[in-house]
Amino acid sequence: MAEWSPESQIQEGFLCPVCYKDLRSPGNLLSHFVELHSEEQDLLKSIKDLVGKAKKKILKLDENELESFKTEMSLQKIGIEYSEPQAPGQTRSMTEYFRNVRRERLDHRTSETNRLIIRLDKLLRIDGPDRKLREQELVVWLDGSTVSRCPSCTASFNITRRQHHCRLCGSIMCNSCSYFLPYEIAKTIVAPVYSDTNKANAIASKAEGDTLRLCAHCMNMLDSRNQAQMLQVNQPVICQLYMRLQKIKNDLQPSLELYDKMYNSMMSGEQTFRLQDVQSLRSSIAQQAEILDAISKRIISVPLNPEQPKAILLQNSIRRATTQYIKEYLLVLPILPSAEELYRIRQERLTRNVSTSTHPTVSAVKKIAVTTGWSPDNLSIENVIPEISDEDPLMQQIAIVRNYIKQARSANRFEEVASLEENLEFLKKAYREQQLAFKNDKVAV
Amino acid sequence: MNVIGAVKAYITKMVEESEPGMKILVMDKETTSVVSMVFSQSEIQQKEVFLLERIDLGSKNFNSGLRYLKCLVFLRPTQQNIDLLSKELRNPRYGAYYIYFSNIVAKADVKVLAENDEQEVVKEVRELYMDYLAVNPHLFSLGLPTCMSNWKSYSLQRTVQGLIAVLLSLKKCPIIRFQKRSRECHELAQRVEELVNKESTLFAFSQSNQPLLLILDRRCDPVTPLLNQWTYQAMVHELLTINNNRVNLSKVKGISKDLAEVVLSAEQDPFYAKNIFLNFGEIGQNIKELMEHFQSKAKSHQKVESIADMKAFVETYPQFKKLSGNVAKHVTVVGELSSMLSEYELLDVSEVEQEITSQTDHSSHLQSVRKLLNVANNKKLRDIDAVKLVILYGLKYQSHSNNDIVGLKKLLMKRNIPEHLIASIPSVLKYSSHYTQQNDNVVDAVKITKRFFKGLNGVDNVYTQHKPVIHEILEDLLKGRIKEDVYPRLNNLSNQLNNRPQDVIVFMIGGVTYEESLTIHAFNKNYPGTNFVLGGTTIHNSKSFLEEVNDTVRIKL
Repeated sequence: MAEWSPESQIQEGFLCPVCYKDLRSPGNLLSHFVELHSEEQDLLKSIKDLVGKAKKKILKLDENELESFKTEMSLQKIGIEYSEPQAPGQTRSMTEYFRNVRRERLDHRTSETNRLIIRLDKLLRIDGPDRKLREQELVVWLDGSTVSRCPSCTASFNITRRQHHCRLCGSIMCNSCSYFLPYEIAKTIVAPVYSDTNKANAIASKAEGDTLRLCAHCMNMLDSRNQAQMLQVNQPVICQLYMRLQKIKNDLQPSLELYDKMYNSMMSGEQTFRLQDVQSLRSSIAQQAEILDAISKRIISVPLNPEQPKAILLQNSIRRATTQYIKEYLLVLPILPSAEELYRIRQERLTRNVSTSTHPTVSAVKKIAVTTGWSPDNLSIENVIPEISDEDPLMQQIAIVRNYIKQARSANRFEEVASLEENLEFLKKAYREQQLAFKNDKVAV
Repeated sequence: MNVIGAVKAYITKMVEESEPGMKILVMDKETTSVVSMVFSQSEIQQKEVFLLERIDLGSKNFNSGLRYLKCLVFLRPTQQNIDLLSKELRNPRYGAYYIYFSNIVAKADVKVLAENDEQEVVKEVRELYMDYLAVNPHLFSLGLPTCMSNWKSYSLQRTVQGLIAVLLSLKKCPIIRFQKRSRECHELAQRVEELVNKESTLFAFSQSNQPLLLILDRRCDPVTPLLNQWTYQAMVHELLTINNNRVNLSKVKGISKDLAEVVLSAEQDPFYAKNIFLNFGEIGQNIKELMEHFQSKAKSHQKVESIADMKAFVETYPQFKKLSGNVAKHVTVVGELSSMLSEYELLDVSEVEQEITSQTDHSSHLQSVRKLLNVANNKKLRDIDAVKLVILYGLKYQSHSNNDIVGLKKLLMKRNIPEHLIASIPSVLKYSSHYTQQNDNVVDAVKITKRFFKGLNGVDNVYTQHKPVIHEILEDLLKGRIKEDVYPRLNNLSNQLNNRPQDVIVFMIGGVTYEESLTIHAFNKNYPGTNFVLGGTTIHNSKSFLEEVNDTVRIKL
């Protein structure tokens, strides 16, 4: 074909072999040929053949692929599934190494801090007019004659800017670089030491408002120790409130799961749980929700230190999270059916069951194992010797089980109420049979 | 293999390890994105994390510590972060610190931190390998919009870290294969292999079937990122741009403040998850259903007469509120898409695009492109669409003796299209030149004919005829036909060549597209015996792709 083409270049596509027109599809080519070149019948036939053969071959080849393509198209309709929780991937802990490095460094610091605290303890006991002198006996003050500038701010000393000494380490600084530790706070820092020696009243006479002059280094050491101690002792109000909040949330979790279980069981028509029990569980959850709400409101109204803008954010965030929690987990509990609706559901199930199962109750009773350790198997009716008295073990059992039911109900343990009640029914039945047997015996006698 | 699940599991571990208590989470810019891809702020709050802070921005109120808070620190192990964290530990603002690094951290850096922890506030130091953005369960990105221009200085290193993190978080120790023609692929494969060998204790997984890491180069398929898209996620990205699951709608006329930026996350938005791969027509139908569902709910809310109604209202209100937010979001997004469609005549454009990419018919394609570019016929055509058409034409027919790229360029100039846009035509041709020359062969023609007959059977949708190159590569892979000389392996020791891998991680230097993500998704569904995960240095739409191309070409020449 190529050497016939006027530009002698390669054309591609569905070309008509007579006029080189590109017709873009086999259908078009065929109809074009029938219309315009019908006189060349043999050519038409060969084209028909060619197209047919090629089509057959390609289509056959394609069939498998076409199938997979079709399924692919339909599979694309499936969207993305929610990612189920999975185990975390590889991790590596560096904590051990970190601690080792830190320990080496901190041993030094800890011993230094302890030395400072022992000195502080001694200083606090010094009292009287010769205080300054005795302080210098305890801690040797640095000789100031060669020091012309403050080591921390490098300002030179003169008449107005005098040299001062840190009472704990004896180093020199100017007044503006000094820190002042009030005696009251100093006392709390060394408090454990005092309680050991029981001499707390020795410094009780110290005038309030007195302070100790310290350098930045010593102050920093004492401060961080002090803060660590404070953290252990003092918990801000917000922490206490938050702990209560979390406790309620944690306690609620099993109730929510139980409610879900009870609801589903009831809606499928089972008789395991009683409607009023489910209702009371629901209302107790609602009560907890109100308490949660109230606590989170209190958290948001805790008075704030104005230096802590973060705390405001924190309070708001806790409040938001709590309302979110209430909305998403507590308010969305499915609504219970009314007594009539429930009756209808149960009837439906009964009619269903009649046709399918013959003796559902007997096997159900056998399966029951109660956490209280009582199980129906222990009482085989045949072996019980008939006796009518208050010590009748069956009557005792019945009383005990009734008591358990009461306790379980007040503790919102409805699963146990359900199984206990079945046990009670069983006991009653056994008791009745026993009575009947006893009567029969009497008649026989 | 689920990257979203992997990241979620790590974050859950991180939050639970620190025991109950109020927590603050301190992150850097990149780790903030990592976390926000899988969890919303309200979900994180339910995990007791009430405050979030950026370590690189947070030093303003330095003294305002809250000692009763536990501080979770989640950072990339960079020098800057180590410095900032050391500073923080010297003057700790919070009571206890739990430090997590998103990748392998140098021992020397841990030592520096330990030396600064004078108050013994650090309780835990751990590596959790989530150094990548998990976009969908089978798709991750490294957030590197341009990677070639700074390949040696930064991107290569970052990509190695990202891939190592993916492998560790999925617990895979792979055989590595790479596209031979790309030098970058080879470099990356080698560096990953070196690190895997160096950290062999970390990579000691018991695996019955060795997974495959296949490293490809975007330049083998410059066509896919240039096409207009018709499935929901891909379309939103192409027309509105998705950035870390967020879509900026602030430029839409009359948009309300709530909707100026919307979040599209398949994890939190069931409607989106369901429709993410559906085509535009089907989404329209589903949106209508969503609207009707909403309206019926809204109607039932209108009649609040009895106490029972009120009670029902209060009980269903939170869900209702949530639903209404969702409806408004999707209606706005789809509405915007559809107005762009008609405004820019994207249906016509896309039809021609698809024809050029999946059929061969030079003269008629040239004619269709000319027709579309004609100013008199088409005033509304966007500049970028016009340029993309010429690029696609060029990629296909640049070796055709009769091609008329020059003439088409003249047409573009007539439309007053800016010079820099027209300049990207030769850029893309240059960008891919090394790769396309050999693709253009007889095998291709046969495939095209096959495709054509499929069209006759009416299976194909005119707008989704094109299949990305990756489709073919993976099909070859599954049939065991992938060529050793085109995609060689690095580790020569193992001889399980014929074993069909069960887990395949495909990574593309130069970015992937959502169309390819759909391809991977379809493979996962079609071949349940094999799991595929796709990743790229970034996720491209045509605009970002052209930027990357221009950047690459400028540096290389």
